[in-house]
Amino acid sequence: MNPEEEKVKIITEESTEDDQEADVGRRRKSSKVQRQRRKRQPPTADPKEMVSEKAHVGSQQELGQEEPETHLLSMPARRGPRSLPPIPSMSRTGFAEFSMRERLREKLQAARSKAESVLLQEIPTPRPRRLRSPGEKVSETGLGTEPSEEVQAAHHRDDSTSYSRIKFRDAVQKIKSKPQAPPGFPSAEEACNFFTFNFDPEPEQPALKAKGKDRDGAKQEEEEGEEESPAGGVSRTDDEELLGDRDTKDFLLGLDPAAEDFVAIRPAEYEGVHTRLEKEKEILFVPSRRAVPTYKKLPENVQPRFLEDEGLYTGARPEMSRTNQNIMENRLLQQDPGRKWFGDDGRILALPSPIKPFPSRPPPLAQELSDKAGLETLYKKAVKYAHRTQHTIGSGDPLGNFQLDIDVSGLIFTHHPCFSREHVLAARLAQLYDQYLARHQRNKAKFLTDKLQALRNAVRSGLHPEKPHQSLDATQRTINEYKSEIRETRKLRDAEQEKDRTLLRTIIKVWKEMKALREFQRFTNTPLKLVLRKEKVNQKAEEEAYEAEIQAEVSELMEEHTEEYEQKMEEYRASYQQWKVWRRAQKAKKKKKKQVEECPEGETEDELSPGEEPTKPALPEPPDRAALEQQARERAAHIRRRPGEPALLPELSLAGSVTPSDQCPRAEVLRREDVKRRMVYLKILFNSKEVSRTVNRQLGADFRVHFGQIFNLQIFNWPESLLLQVYETVGHTSTVLLAEVFLPVPETTVVTGRAPMEEVEFSSSQHVTLDHEGVGSGVPFSFEADGSNQLTLMTSGRVSHSVAWAVGDNGTPLIPPLSQQNIGFRSALKRADAISSIGTSGLTDMKKLAKWAAESKLDPNDPNNAPLMQLISVATSGESYVPDFFRLEQLQQEFNFVTNEELNRSKRFRLLCLRSQEVPEFRNYKQIPAYDREIMEKVFQDYEKRLRDKSVIETRDHIDTHRAVVAKYLQQVRESVVNRFLTAKHHILLTDLVVEDEVPNISIWGLSLFKLAEQKRPLRPRRKGRKKVTAQNLSDGDIKLLVNICRAYDIPVRKPTARAPNGDYSTASLQSVKDEVFINVFDEVLHDILEDDRERGSGIHTRIERHWLGCVKIPFSTIYSQARIDGTFKIDIPPVLLGYCKERSVTAERGLDSVRSLSEGSYLTLFITIEPQLVPGQPVREKFDSQEDEKLLQATEKFQAECALKFPNRQCFTTVIDLSGKTVFITRYLKPLNPPEELLNAYPSNPQAIAELAARYVSLIPFLPDTASFTGVCDLWSTSDQFLDLLAGDEEEHAVLLCNYFLFLGKKAWLVMGNAIPEGPTVYVLTWEQNHYFIWNPCSGHFYGQFDTFCPLKSVSCLIGPDNIWFNIQQYDSPLRINFDVTKPKLWKSFFSRSLPYPGLSSVQPEELIYQRTDKAAAAELQDRIEKMLKEKIMDWRPRHLTRWNRHCTSTLRHFLPLLERSHGEDVEDDHRAELQRQLGDYRFSGFPLHLSYSEVKPLIEAVYSTGVHNIDVPNAEFALAVYIHPYPKNVLSVWIYVASLIRNR
Amino acid sequence: MAEVHVIGQIIGATGFSESSLFCKWGIHTGAAWKLLSGMREGQTQVDTPQVGDMAYWCHPIDLHFATKGLQGWPRLHLQVWSQDSFGRCQLAGYGFCHVPSSPGTHQLDCPTWRPLGSWREQLARAFVGGGPQLLQADTIYSGADRYRLHTAAGGTVRLELSLLLRHFDRYGVEC
Repeated sequence: MNPEEEKVKIITEESTEDDQEADVGRRRKSSKVQRQRRKRQPPTADPKEMVSEKAHVGSQQELGQEEPETHLLSMPARRGPRSLPPIPSMSRTGFAEFSMRERLREKLQAARSKAESVLLQEIPTPRPRRLRSPGEKVSETGLGTEPSEEVQAAHHRDDSTSYSRIKFRDAVQKIKSKPQAPPGFPSAEEACNFFTFNFDPEPEQPALKAKGKDRDGAKQEEEEGEEESPAGGVSRTDDEELLGDRDTKDFLLGLDPAAEDFVAIRPAEYEGVHTRLEKEKEILFVPSRRAVPTYKKLPENVQPRFLEDEGLYTGARPEMSRTNQNIMENRLLQQDPGRKWFGDDGRILALPSPIKPFPSRPPPLAQELSDKAGLETLYKKAVKYAHRTQHTIGSGDPLGNFQLDIDVSGLIFTHHPCFSREHVLAARLAQLYDQYLARHQRNKAKFLTDKLQALRNAVRSGLHPEKPHQSLDATQRTINEYKSEIRETRKLRDAEQEKDRTLLRTIIKVWKEMKALREFQRFTNTPLKLVLRKEKVNQKAEEEAYEAEIQAEVSELMEEHTEEYEQKMEEYRASYQQWKVWRRAQKAKKKKKKQVEECPEGETEDELSPGEEPTKPALPEPPDRAALEQQARERAAHIRRRPGEPALLPELSLAGSVTPSDQCPRAEVLRREDVKRRMVYLKILFNSKEVSRTVNRQLGADFRVHFGQIFNLQIFNWPESLLLQVYETVGHTSTVLLAEVFLPVPETTVVTGRAPMEEVEFSSSQHVTLDHEGVGSGVPFSFEADGSNQLTLMTSGRVSHSVAWAVGDNGTPLIPPLSQQNIGFRSALKRADAISSIGTSGLTDMKKLAKWAAESKLDPNDPNNAPLMQLISVATSGESYVPDFFRLEQLQQEFNFVTNEELNRSKRFRLLCLRSQEVPEFRNYKQIPAYDREIMEKVFQDYEKRLRDKSVIETRDHIDTHRAVVAKYLQQVRESVVNRFLTAKHHILLTDLVVEDEVPNISIWGLSLFKLAEQKRPLRPRRKGRKKVTAQNLSDGDIKLLVNICRAYDIPVRKPTARAPNGDYSTASLQSVKDEVFINVFDEVLHDILEDDRERGSGIHTRIERHWLGCVKIPFSTIYSQARIDGTFKIDIPPVLLGYCKERSVTAERGLDSVRSLSEGSYLTLFITIEPQLVPGQPVREKFDSQEDEKLLQATEKFQAECALKFPNRQCFTTVIDLSGKTVFITRYLKPLNPPEELLNAYPSNPQAIAELAARYVSLIPFLPDTASFTGVCDLWSTSDQFLDLLAGDEEEHAVLLCNYFLFLGKKAWLVMGNAIPEGPTVYVLTWEQNHYFIWNPCSGHFYGQFDTFCPLKSVSCLIGPDNIWFNIQQYDSPLRINFDVTKPKLWKSFFSRSLPYPGLSSVQPEELIYQRTDKAAAAELQDRIEKMLKEKIMDWRPRHLTRWNRHCTSTLRHFLPLLERSHGEDVEDDHRAELQRQLGDYRFSGFPLHLSYSEVKPLIEAVYSTGVHNIDVPNAEFALAVYIHPYPKNVLSVWIYVASLIRNR
Repeated sequence: MAEVHVIGQIIGATGFSESSLFCKWGIHTGAAWKLLSGMREGQTQVDTPQVGDMAYWCHPIDLHFATKGLQGWPRLHLQVWSQDSFGRCQLAGYGFCHVPSSPGTHQLDCPTWRPLGSWREQLARAFVGGGPQLLQADTIYSGADRYRLHTAAGGTVRLELSLLLRHFDRYGVEC
């Protein structure tokens, strides 16, 4: 027993000092017995129990998988201890040792199992284990500590088969161990001892090392374990040895061959990484990550092409990391040697990135909504049906439902007369502070500083370009750009900073002033208070930044200057070179000169230096860095805060207190009271009509007025102007218009809710001086005591408002369409205008859009921008472009019978359409043929010609180009009027359709009953009313015009030269030329042309000659509208009728002279009517736009209604329509206007003559009716200058011009509205001269006295003066019977009266008329052409006869015509006749001069034709024709045509 | 280049609960059709039947079309309105029918419907008049999915249309 053993023993002794000590001895024996018994036997129930208990503890899952292993491992290990114990039982020490070890082991086991059970969260009682299964434990520990408890447990849990196997094996071991111990060998005990005691340190060492740490006090055990593990090792070798005698083993083991026989334990196969890589290298290809040089990717000798640089659109490539690309490129190069994968630029081909930055699918909610939109219904209130102009079913919402919301929130006066001095300062301070705040918010200086910084960085990085493919050139360019940008930005920033600083200074200055003022006046008016807050700053950092900034600046400046310097140097060098050359040349010349030495000095001097001797250029100075730095520093000090200086932040507050009134001086109190008395309100004017006004609000002490009112304007027209008028009321008396503020009309995209509040400034020019502290307005005042430094402030302020379009119930903005014209056709397409739907209001202007596109450098090749670019190109090129990509019915084309062109070519369809469109040429076309072939092409000729001519001005028909232009213009005006009326005609009222007889009342019944009883008087003819027929029921030829010529007066009498007085004037020819009825009066002469007197008894051979005497023209429209014309007309008789004279003597006897004294001429009494009687068309009165005041318009309507009620037959004009289609108040047309100078100077002493001349001038302006259709009585009134420019107009224009002339001449003149014969409703001019009223016919230039029977004016309905309108309320309306004294209110109802004073309407007429002198040469040329043309015409009209022209006579006539013009066709007849007689004595002639105004040639020809001069078919008749044109100013031409026929007397 | 004459009249309407009725009508055609003459749309007078419940309008329809294809054959759409004793108008029904495609005289009955609206609107309609109307009138004849609409049946509009077709045989259309 070695000491170590001893020690162990002691330790074990000590350690086993516990309660079990008592039965140790006993147990030792028993345990040994037990043990031995157990070795031989299967475990008893106890261990089994324990095992089952353990099984609970042990983890079940390890069962299956660990079993074979435990089997393998535990088998040999177990064999050792099981075979061993019986042997040591023989030795004592062994026994003692064993028991001790046993105990120790038990303890250890207990501790371990305890720990384990704790681990497994179960607390098994260690005691029973210790007590009951010591042997078991021994055997377990005998295995060594290697296998874990579970393993063992698993083994124990093995079923009976394994158990029996163990038993077998034990037996086998026993048997085996016996032969294993040969006789010469030590016994088992010895062996045990040997192993135990002859302890060899070597094998145990590693085990000890490995396990010594956790088993401190159990060395023995270790040894045991060690001793056993070699045993295990031995047993394994035994196994191997046993393989040899396998049969025995097989025999012994029986059925179950051990697993180890089939399984060989091998380490996991593993190959080193490097070897693997080596191997892989042979098979795999790993593309490199390095970039591939471009030349590899391109075909040989091809330079890379950068399409983008060439300006082609390439699009953005999809995002891809560089390495990935490199890998791909490398792979492609390796795999596919062809270079088809690479583009021209050496990169992999790629489509533009297909990824949209935003989702293309609309949000589902919105989708849902839009789907519904089409089917949305709207609850509409039952409303009274307004008669609209159209009754369309298709167009959705009614027009006119537009709304403009104007929000007027308040008003702030920036200056007001009631401002005290302090207020002025306060306002200035507030303004400055506002400015400061705005600047502060924008913080432009900061922004610019940042920008500068960014630019500097960009330049710095730009110098080292990272993008390889960008050319160096481009980089350089961008850097240069950046540099110039830097320069600009710096300048801007400096300016901004300077501004900031000065602003701050000014604020402080004003505040100081204010404080001083407050102190001085000893009271405070405003609560304003300025606080300057100092903000601490980091001095060090700031200084650094400051310095850095300056350095950067200096270096930039340096660079700049160096550049400049270099440039200058370059220049200098060049110029120096030049100078040198010159110098050399000079020297050479001088030398030469010296050689010559002949010329005087002076001359050479002059020659050589002609004053342009190049001076020697000065060397530019190189830039000085120090100076630059100094400069930069100075500037910085000026504009920037010094580093470390605290930043000052002004804060304006209203915290101050205002001195109460009772502590103020009297003047101030007065001022405050005055302020309190003032009220302010705003008027809102829409299209310069007042639509609303705000409430009257008191002016606050702070001169702010809060309204906060929103006005919803339901509008109909497009707003042209929005105006706010600021009114101020002082006390209860006066209201002053302070100022007008025009508000911008909002864009169509600005709708309510989105419109920002805006402030509009206004200022007033009013001058106010106040007798209190208030500084007044427009009055100079001063802050200084001595009155210097004067200031003049005008009332001004700001209105804060917002204007926006309202949004309808369905979310559509209520915005009227831009053009009011096609208001009815607002299609859905228009509403979905692409651009406006985007909501970019600024883009509506195409030019702006194009500019924007150019500025923002939009890539024009980018397909994304294609629509925009197209739009721009279309819009800017001005071509109309019909996109052909949208088709509503895609399959239409396939199913069409015919093409569109064919359909349009069809003449029949065209004719039908034109007829239904009521095109004038086809308006009443009847019987359109059923087949195309039956329609002649020429049907359309006129129409097409008209269409063609629309723009082309035909000068062929018009000798004068000016007339041609005018005619064209008038044609267009007329067309537009016609169109307007055609549409208006379709607006049918109930009365147009339904004719209801009035319900007879009692009085009518009574009368008719009375009539029954009346005596019949068959001989007394009674007039029967004719039935009226509406125009619809008529067909061609139904209308007959009945003309009854009753009698004629003062017909010229044939001179006695004729054979028999045969005054037969009953012949009338009814010519219905267009719209006029001409009644020509002829003298029919019967010529006896019997050659032979002998035949006189048997035969009559006469020839009828008709001599034209004059004519009466009555427009058919007059007859139509008047239904019957019954009156006496003046026959338009030429001033000279050759061969005729007037029988004055005869008429003088008749006693009619008194009435006819004023008028001369022949008269014809006519009765004209139409059979059947037609219903005259109602004048269509359309509502037109107007710029008149609403009040005035209402008054006119009222006035007209009143007048119409009293005298329905008398028409009353208050408003008329001007050329642009606007309603204008009528008196605006009357204003004194100057007649041409020429006329004024003609008779300086005779005003009457001048008046007549003016009338004549006016009448010479051609008459052109603008009543375009029968029914539409729509007069467009042009102003006098327009009239003179157009040189055409009807009665109104003539009358207005004449009236204006008369007013200029100082006469009292009025326009007379009334009915005249034959014009019908017309306008004449009335003048008051020398106690007589004269009535002037402006179209003929004639004038009549009031009591002239033959005055064509038959009734007077109203008079119009320059400032009033009078309506005739007298019983009669004939000018003969009425009193023209308009001052009598009983006779004349005036428009403007005391209740409605004349508001002083401005005139629409120009200030002055300017007349150009007409070119005489042109007139002469025109004269010749007309003469030639007329001669040709006369020859044309006489196709069967030879037309001879008597030249002698013609020249005589030509000389005579100017005379006529001079005398206005009067009193020249006798002289003229005598002269003619003298010259052409042996001729019998008839002829007359025609006087016409000139508009076109055609009327002239017609006039000549209608005289029938050419109808003479006497074989030897000769003709004479002379034309004279007298030019008046402004291209007014007076045309005289003298036609005569001569027959030689035999 | 075939031509179609539509001649006829809107005779009247029956079966409406309202009494004073009038009708707005219109003809909608495809793009291939060209109106040569006649009014595409119109409105009848208000008729208050004295005897029976049929409102007679006898409103003439006279249209002359030229067409280059059969697509978009004319369809007639109607809106029947009623006028109450205050002269207020409210919708009584929408109707739609195709113009017949065979020549000759045709008697057409066009049933009508009107949007029902919410119960609130129905209540309002019953007491104060008015009623929901289609915002887009083309829903009457266009084939948009109308399944979202709740409608109530109105009365029937009776029409008499005579068709004259010309040159359809030229293009292989027998009629």
